[in-house]
Amino acid sequence: MRLMSILMLSAALFSIGIYGVLVRRNAVLVLMSIELMLNAVNINLIGFGTWLRDTAFVNAQAFVLFVIAIAAAEVGIGIAIVLAIYRNKASIAVDEVDSMKW
Amino acid sequence: MGTAVFDLHALAPELILTGVAILILVYDLFIGDERKWTLPIVAAGGILAAGIPLVTLGLSDTTRSLFGGAYVVDGFALVLKGIFLGASFVVLLMSAQYVEEGDYHRGEFYFLLLSAVLGMLVISSARDMISLFVAIELVSSPTYLLAGWRKRDLKSNEAALKYFLLGVVSIAISLYGMSILFGVTGGALKFTEIASWMSAVPSGSAMGVAAMSIVLILVGFAFKIAAVPFHLWAPDTYEGAPLPVTAFLSVASKTAGFVGLFTLVYLAFPAQSQVWRPVIFGLAIATMTVGNLIAIKQTNLVRMLAYSSIAQAGYVLVPFAATTREGSLTAETFASSVTYLLIYTVMNLGAFAVIIAVARRTRSVEITSWSGLSKYAPGLAVLMTFFLLSLAGIPPTAGMWAKIFVFRSVISAGGLANGALAAVMGINSVIAAFYYLAVVKKMFFDPAPEEDLEAIPVPASLAGAIGIMAGITFVLFVIPDVAVRLGYGASLV
Amino acid sequence: MEFPLLSLIIWLPLVGALTVALIPKDNKQAIQTAAVATTVAGLGLGVWLFTGFKQGEAAMQMVEAYEWIPAIGARYIVGIDGISLFMVLLTLFMFPIAILASLGQIQDRLKAYAIFMLILESAILGAFCALDLLLFFFFWEAMLVPMYFLIAGWGGKRRVYAAIKFFLYTMLGSAFLLVAIFLLAWMHQKQTGSISFDLHSLLDLEIARSTQLWLFIAFSVSFAIKVPVFPLHTWLPDAHTEAPTAGSVVLAAVLLKLGTYGFLRYSIPLFPKATVELAGVLVVLGVIGIVYGAILCLKQSDIKRLVAYSSVSHLGFVVLGIFALTFQGIQGGLLQMLNHGVATGALFLLVGMIYERRHTREIDEFGGLASKMPVFAGLFLVTVFASIGLPGMGGFIGELLILAGTFLRNPWIAAAAATGVILAAVYLLWAYQRVFTGKIDNEENERLSDIGAKEILVVVPLVVLMLFVGFFPRYFLDRTEPSVRQVLTRVEEKGHYREPEIPDPVAAAEKPAGGDSHGGHGAMP
Repeated sequence: MRLMSILMLSAALFSIGIYGVLVRRNAVLVLMSIELMLNAVNINLIGFGTWLRDTAFVNAQAFVLFVIAIAAAEVGIGIAIVLAIYRNKASIAVDEVDSMKW
Repeated sequence: MGTAVFDLHALAPELILTGVAILILVYDLFIGDERKWTLPIVAAGGILAAGIPLVTLGLSDTTRSLFGGAYVVDGFALVLKGIFLGASFVVLLMSAQYVEEGDYHRGEFYFLLLSAVLGMLVISSARDMISLFVAIELVSSPTYLLAGWRKRDLKSNEAALKYFLLGVVSIAISLYGMSILFGVTGGALKFTEIASWMSAVPSGSAMGVAAMSIVLILVGFAFKIAAVPFHLWAPDTYEGAPLPVTAFLSVASKTAGFVGLFTLVYLAFPAQSQVWRPVIFGLAIATMTVGNLIAIKQTNLVRMLAYSSIAQAGYVLVPFAATTREGSLTAETFASSVTYLLIYTVMNLGAFAVIIAVARRTRSVEITSWSGLSKYAPGLAVLMTFFLLSLAGIPPTAGMWAKIFVFRSVISAGGLANGALAAVMGINSVIAAFYYLAVVKKMFFDPAPEEDLEAIPVPASLAGAIGIMAGITFVLFVIPDVAVRLGYGASLV
Repeated sequence: MEFPLLSLIIWLPLVGALTVALIPKDNKQAIQTAAVATTVAGLGLGVWLFTGFKQGEAAMQMVEAYEWIPAIGARYIVGIDGISLFMVLLTLFMFPIAILASLGQIQDRLKAYAIFMLILESAILGAFCALDLLLFFFFWEAMLVPMYFLIAGWGGKRRVYAAIKFFLYTMLGSAFLLVAIFLLAWMHQKQTGSISFDLHSLLDLEIARSTQLWLFIAFSVSFAIKVPVFPLHTWLPDAHTEAPTAGSVVLAAVLLKLGTYGFLRYSIPLFPKATVELAGVLVVLGVIGIVYGAILCLKQSDIKRLVAYSSVSHLGFVVLGIFALTFQGIQGGLLQMLNHGVATGALFLLVGMIYERRHTREIDEFGGLASKMPVFAGLFLVTVFASIGLPGMGGFIGELLILAGTFLRNPWIAAAAATGVILAAVYLLWAYQRVFTGKIDNEENERLSDIGAKEILVVVPLVVLMLFVGFFPRYFLDRTEPSVRQVLTRVEEKGHYREPEIPDPVAAAEKPAGGDSHGGHGAMP
């Protein structure tokens, strides 16, 4: 039963993350929403790992460490791009970045 | 495990590339502006050096399995690594002058490029979820930055932002699928473990969850290969990014996405083709058709090629969708996909190389600015025609064989659905010919602008890139057997 | 090993193209010499081919077979039989003429022009000789690019539109063809265990009726576009009209024949059951083409367009003859392919000559030219006669055989087709009358001079050939007979079809009951 609640938590986080990505206009908030999605993945992995035990427990932790590390790098890149846009446009609203269409 | 945990020979290409990438970053710090021109040479040397162990590995002809089977160097990995290194070398040739002339941070450009190449090498060998994830991130992250390289140009920023956001979201969706799959399979991470779990559990609620996670994972990769309807980032990113980076994205990074898809579908999910086959079937048809139809009305050459490369990705997907009725995957379908990728890489890079050469003069990639090109740059016009014909699959080019091999594998799979797929592809190739020919027409049969009709000077490195690609496109047309053999050599089935 | 004559013939023009490519583009004299020399040498090889051809054999001759793409089972196999012999010869004959005719006319980008012409010749010859389906497809596709550039590069006002239309139509057709070819190869793999595109081994396949129908349709759509069969003909008038003279000549004389040749070589022998079932459809389409093309000819004001539409009508005859599925019909069709090639080729040449002088092709602009250009008018008249099919001309024999062959199948169809002959006489003679007879009523025509020796030299061989075919048809028919017979036998055996017999009046009189009267051709026990 405990596994189920962990999965529910992760699913909720993931959904909130997707919602945020789709709805938020502020680029920083979009980045944070993506973080939520990635953390949902981490919770899933740890939940399953604890439930399955043995090698899966170790594997899950290894996976999570990779996800955390890479997510950090991703956000660094994301912030860099957003910063570049801010310098050019003085705005970080995602929907205003639309010079190209079709 | 019979094989060594840490086989230096098998890892040599990756290690060399890592070393050279770091070397460039450090070396760049200590040299002045007047010595920066050496950077691309070091980078090219690194790529070539990484190719040497690849050859020796190929000659030794054994499959090497590292880290308990998470990292495998087999025929598939070797062929794909060869394609990646070759393509990157050509991209390097294309970008040397471009980076030199713009006011860019050169050292970092080459560092990021090599990092992305490193990721591609890793993805060819990745045989478990963790290494696949790390590899795909290693390909993606540097290319996000490369797309936004002209950081004072808003278009470039926009390209990077769209590419980044959609790329990261897609990876997050894939990861979520992976995490669920990890749970239902009882902690399986390696593709072989997942495959054996899937063939052992034919039905049940666990299978339902697994099916959902397969679809989630595929969605992530559909973004990477810019399959319709997950293609929306591609045209904007291609248009906004610096041209050599666009070439790199349209070829190498797309191929990396395909490699991930190949290994997943053929190694991890072969038993569940009833789950992914309809997905890929739909993706293939939508990707071909939508890509080609939107390409027709493009006025910007790079954007047109962006949509064309979306459509081309559809062609690569076609053999996937065409598994036999029994659901088994054949070496033939696999080989035709790899062959197509190989030839696509060559011809698309060639087309982009010509675009870079011409854009040095026209300062524009609008198709109208190309009118009458044959009057003042006949060589470039002929070569562009050659590459466009190849993309359209018309002789005398390798593209014809690429298309023919895909047709062949689809039809050999038999069945009405596959026949329909082949028909859709046939009609698409006619649509595609239409817009490729429109460019040919512009170059040859429209009047040139009055003012400036001097010949276009092409820097040596760029000319080399164009020459190599044209040469390969023609050689593979004359002896297609080489491409087919490579395709079969790469087969995972 | 035998001397690879066919390969030499196929690849010689390509070698010529490469040679031309090496000549600097300002040296027009050398380019012309190289192009003419290559095609004339090809014609010489053609004579050698003709003398080496063994009359009376139905099987393929001078076969060369090599590995080509072992990985997918495609081989390089070329060979000729009675059906392809004259197509190859026609190609070898028309190209030197087309190139000679364009010598004076093409000044701009001569080098590229010569290269495209020579590549085109290679591709056409290859397509006629190929006996491996993938090889055939390869040559078939290889024709696209040079033809596209020839039309778009040196054509008339709407040339780019016409070129793209031509290109897309043909590509659409070849997409069907490719799918069907691979289906065949795949069936070969299923039945024998090895994949093959070899026509000879594909003929042994057992193909179910329904599959045959689909494959026949796929092959035939592709060929029908090329012929062109009504209603897939709409690319032709544009392409013909806009192409440069030599391009029109090659298109009309040779390229269109690939379609009808494809029917005879691939569609009919490979899918006999489907042929028998669907022949009626093609017969009807052929007749529609004959009549519709002829009617459209009547209302054309552009003389080149008129000739283009007459091709639709004439090729309707060929299709009719082939799918009448009688010995006479197919023989007539083959002969008519030759005749049409020569006569229409000559018409395009002549129209090109007058266009060079006046830069218009409107019939109304002319009138009374015969008084200024008697030689030209004379040659034109002979060619018109050949095209109409007057006795003494090849067209007469061809159309007669086709009508006779059709009559055996269905008298009404033959009657409908015969109206096409009458209409042809009407539109061609009417056009001739408006252009050549009467008084000169347009001042600009006063200054016209008759054609020169060089132009006469180009047309005369064609006229000679028209007359030769007319007087000595057996010379050709004897050589095609065994191969045609073989195709028909195959259809009869595999398609459960019985060729209509020629009613024998004597036998009918002796045996009024007429229960088992036999005679004529193709009787089966």
